[in-house]
Amino acid sequence: MNWIAKRHAAGRANATAALIAVALFLAGCGINTIPTLEEQAKGSWSEVQSQYQRRADLIPNLVSTVKGYAQQERDVLNEVTQARAKATQIQVNADQLTDPDALRRFQEAQAQLSGALGRLIAISENYPDLKSNQNFLALQSQLEGTENRIAVARRDYISAVQNYNTEVRTFPGRLWAMVYNAEPMATFATPEENQRPPSVTF
Amino acid sequence: MARVWVFFLVLLTAIGFGVATAREPSFPTLTGRIVDEAQLVNADARSQIERKLVAFEMKTGRQLVVVTLNSLQGYEIEDYGYQLGRSWGIGQKESNNGALLIVAPNEHRVRIEVGYGLESTLTDAISRLIIENSILPRFRTGDFVGGIERGVDDVIQVLTGDAADFQRRASEQQPPEPEDALQFVWIFVILGFWLFIALKSQRRDARRRPVPWIIPLPGGRPSGRWSTGSRGRGGFSGGGGSFGGGGASGRW
Repeated sequence: MNWIAKRHAAGRANATAALIAVALFLAGCGINTIPTLEEQAKGSWSEVQSQYQRRADLIPNLVSTVKGYAQQERDVLNEVTQARAKATQIQVNADQLTDPDALRRFQEAQAQLSGALGRLIAISENYPDLKSNQNFLALQSQLEGTENRIAVARRDYISAVQNYNTEVRTFPGRLWAMVYNAEPMATFATPEENQRPPSVTF
Repeated sequence: MARVWVFFLVLLTAIGFGVATAREPSFPTLTGRIVDEAQLVNADARSQIERKLVAFEMKTGRQLVVVTLNSLQGYEIEDYGYQLGRSWGIGQKESNNGALLIVAPNEHRVRIEVGYGLESTLTDAISRLIIENSILPRFRTGDFVGGIERGVDDVIQVLTGDAADFQRRASEQQPPEPEDALQFVWIFVILGFWLFIALKSQRRDARRRPVPWIIPLPGGRPSGRWSTGSRGRGGFSGGGGSFGGGGASGRW
């Protein structure tokens, strides 16, 4: 009687040990790799989006400052406002990242806004009063800094996606990808040069 | 069969290297709080600036490093700067409270690179003002030492002077999580657990095979360095802080 109970207890201990061994073995051979890389890529994406959002937040203030000095530049000002409205409408949440079309639409809308902003900064060169306005200078350096942060966030996202996609497409990650049904993520297509902040000389 | 495996291994290694070496500038070695590759700062000024930088770190726990470069290797200074900051790990790891003053005399470019944690204090606009008002006028007349000194003074002033900032700094300075210590605790817990089970099951039933001795290490990023930004000369190192492109640049 007693030895049966003892034997039972030992068996249970061994079963527990085996279970833990299996869990640890799986952890060792990469069951966590894909979710980890996926989370990293999604995290980088949210950074990209928040930096673009930060740029969008600067624009109303910038537009109203420029309006004060260069009212006749209505076309460019409207263009910026409209491009901003369009760009803020297109959001890509983390689950849509495997859809290249969603990312392309996001990218196009933001690129359009970048272009319009570049023109706005360019015309401001023609207004000495505007150029020396303290508020405008502060906004401009914030805008430049934000463009730079966008470039950094994009590059971080690209490299995070690269790591994730390499894992999903190569052995042994490929096997886990089948288990998780993990698809490669989309990344930015436009060359980085187009995304450089508009440079301004004083 | 063995050949196929060797082939796979070589392929995987090649992919690994390909990813790792993709497009990164090379950086000078972090030899101290002033890394004067372009040799712009004479010995006197150097020790004076260094003293300020040490005092600044002692007082606030934040790190400021001055670096002069012979070449940006074809990169924009913005591109180069944040990667340099990340590579050196300036600032403490938990609060990312580092900043760099980068001077590239051959490209006529200067930049204040601001770590994530200081972006709200040393903003882009303030960095720009420091560059435009304190640094560039002196650089334009060839006074590199003067420009660097004024730039360092201003950055330090911004990062220490603000009284309202005190609270934020206090919360920034909370001791970092004892990540390394925790890992060791885990290892001992797991080791102990295995030992316990193994001994127990062997004693109860000698015929059974012993539990396999797999000792996993808890996952997680390697946490870089042990020391968090050492004090004083000689042993200076970054604390693992990161950068996201904050700051401002100028040219002359």
